[in-house]
Amino acid sequence: MAIRDEDVLPIPNRPMNRLEGTYLSESFKGIGTTLRHFFTSFGQGRTSRTFQYPEVRREQMPVERGGLHAPNFRGVHRLNRDEAGRVKCVACMMCPTICPAKCIHIDAAESPWDDREKYPKKFEIDELRCIFCGMCEEACPVDAIELTTEYDVVGLTRQEMIFDKEKLLSVFDATIGKKPM
Amino acid sequence: MPDLSHFITAQLIVSAVICIVVVHVILIGVAYSIYLERKVSAYIQDRIGPNRVGFDFGLPALRFLRGMVGLGQPLADGLKFFLKEDYTPAHVDKVLFTLAPALIVIPALMGFIIIPWGGTWNVPEFTIPVLNVHVAGGPVQVAGAVVNVGVLYLLAVASLGVYGVTLGGWASNNKFSFLGGLRSTAQMLAYEIPLGLSLLAVLLVVGSLIPADLVGYQVRNGWLILSQPIAAILFFISILAEANRAPFDNAEAEQELVGGYHTEYSSMRFALFFMGEYAHMITSSAFFALVFLGGYHLPLVPWLSPESTTLLAVLAKCLVYFGKVGLLVCFMMVIRWTLPRMRFDQVMMMAWQAVIPLALIVVIVSSVVVYLNLGPRFNLPWGESIPLLVANAAITVGFLIMYPFLPNYEVNRRVPMYGSRFNPVPGERVSTRPMDATALADRPEAAVAGAR
Repeated sequence: MAIRDEDVLPIPNRPMNRLEGTYLSESFKGIGTTLRHFFTSFGQGRTSRTFQYPEVRREQMPVERGGLHAPNFRGVHRLNRDEAGRVKCVACMMCPTICPAKCIHIDAAESPWDDREKYPKKFEIDELRCIFCGMCEEACPVDAIELTTEYDVVGLTRQEMIFDKEKLLSVFDATIGKKPM
Repeated sequence: MPDLSHFITAQLIVSAVICIVVVHVILIGVAYSIYLERKVSAYIQDRIGPNRVGFDFGLPALRFLRGMVGLGQPLADGLKFFLKEDYTPAHVDKVLFTLAPALIVIPALMGFIIIPWGGTWNVPEFTIPVLNVHVAGGPVQVAGAVVNVGVLYLLAVASLGVYGVTLGGWASNNKFSFLGGLRSTAQMLAYEIPLGLSLLAVLLVVGSLIPADLVGYQVRNGWLILSQPIAAILFFISILAEANRAPFDNAEAEQELVGGYHTEYSSMRFALFFMGEYAHMITSSAFFALVFLGGYHLPLVPWLSPESTTLLAVLAKCLVYFGKVGLLVCFMMVIRWTLPRMRFDQVMMMAWQAVIPLALIVVIVSSVVVYLNLGPRFNLPWGESIPLLVANAAITVGFLIMYPFLPNYEVNRRVPMYGSRFNPVPGERVSTRPMDATALADRPEAAVAGAR
């Protein structure tokens, strides 16, 4: 929609007074502001917003100071196991269908177990394509795929960053203590 | 063997030592002022800045040198610059392209020669061991060169820095670099004038171009920043513009000109441009400290006066001078991270419509004050300082009273391009109707009335 003339609100600049006309008074006011920040944040002082990342992590900070809010943080994926330790996924293809980045690839096969029809023979997530929107987690009817709070995932090659079923299950084993099902 | 004692005097030896020492101190100072800039900007923006790089080079044996609040950062940056590819684009002017980085660093380093770092040193007699030359002692100036036109020399050399910028922009054969070089040239030409004029207001009072005399005058009559505050402010603005520092760094405005005059440079040549800027800052700060902050002098400290000529006093004076220069450099950095960059037409308007007229007024008023010779006539303390201060206050009050009556030009911020729909070629029919279907549905009356 184009902007209507009556919606335009002209805000004329207030004319400068005599002191502001020299620009110096306002410049020194600005220097006062920067110097205040300089001295209050000096050496990680009161107003400093930085924390030393590898030593201090967001998990250790309170949420109000920029810490990580674990209940709705969306980190790397995991594939949940059921009580028997089998993969919980039933290969219903909901998550690759909903995935906006098209980063989930599932090869379904007939399940070797009696309580379900299908299971994922291959389950791959390309973590480099993933946008961590959490749609897969919402779409999953059996709560098999979940996003964890892990965010420092690194790899030396692109191939390394395509997580297969074993890797995703191992993420589950590593994070089940931190984020129970 | 010719008799060397005629050539080798105490002044020659001291000057040579000062030249060698000062160049190295300045180069290290340049490296660490880049570190300082990063730290200052970080603290101003509530960050921390470089704090990881120490001197351990990743070796486990040197673990204890790790950290060091990031003091290894300049060394690491320099190593990185040396290891990067030194790329010369095709179609550049090879000679000028190679010459430009040198031309920006050399003038910035040349200016330090005449700075009187430590005043006078009474050298004792001594004999050079190997040459067996007897050197007569006596008072020598602790400066690279003792010349009678010292201040003029500094002024001339400081303005040479523009050649590096202009040639770098020209030789790059790149529109953006060229625009950066052009801007820099125009800006330097404009701010050269108030630089000279505000200096003239001071030199009228001092009556000498010798740097040592400038310091001597300020020791006797109080610092010139107190008696000539307007000239000091104008001089500071001008050296900011001369050093291409924010808020006058239009020559390298990233938002408009990619990188400005050093767009095409890489590796150590880019680093030379970078170093040149900081060396220029240090030169300008030393100049300002010499002219307005009394050089090595501190009030109420007796052994910082020109009369004390021992080696210890000279070293203390050098330290005080370096401290003043460091504080001024810090002040320039705070200004850079406070004030936004001015638009280029504002920069030029400020020079020609504000700074130069004001500097002229200051020069005229100070020459009248010097001619009237009020200080000695009425036996005032501190020479001409009090009449000058009164004159400066009068100029300020006059400006504040006159401000509403000064001409305030309406600036046309939008100059329509010839041939565009806002400034059409005569005879050409242009339509300013909205073309978008949604906009047409929204404002049907514009579709009819829009054609003009």
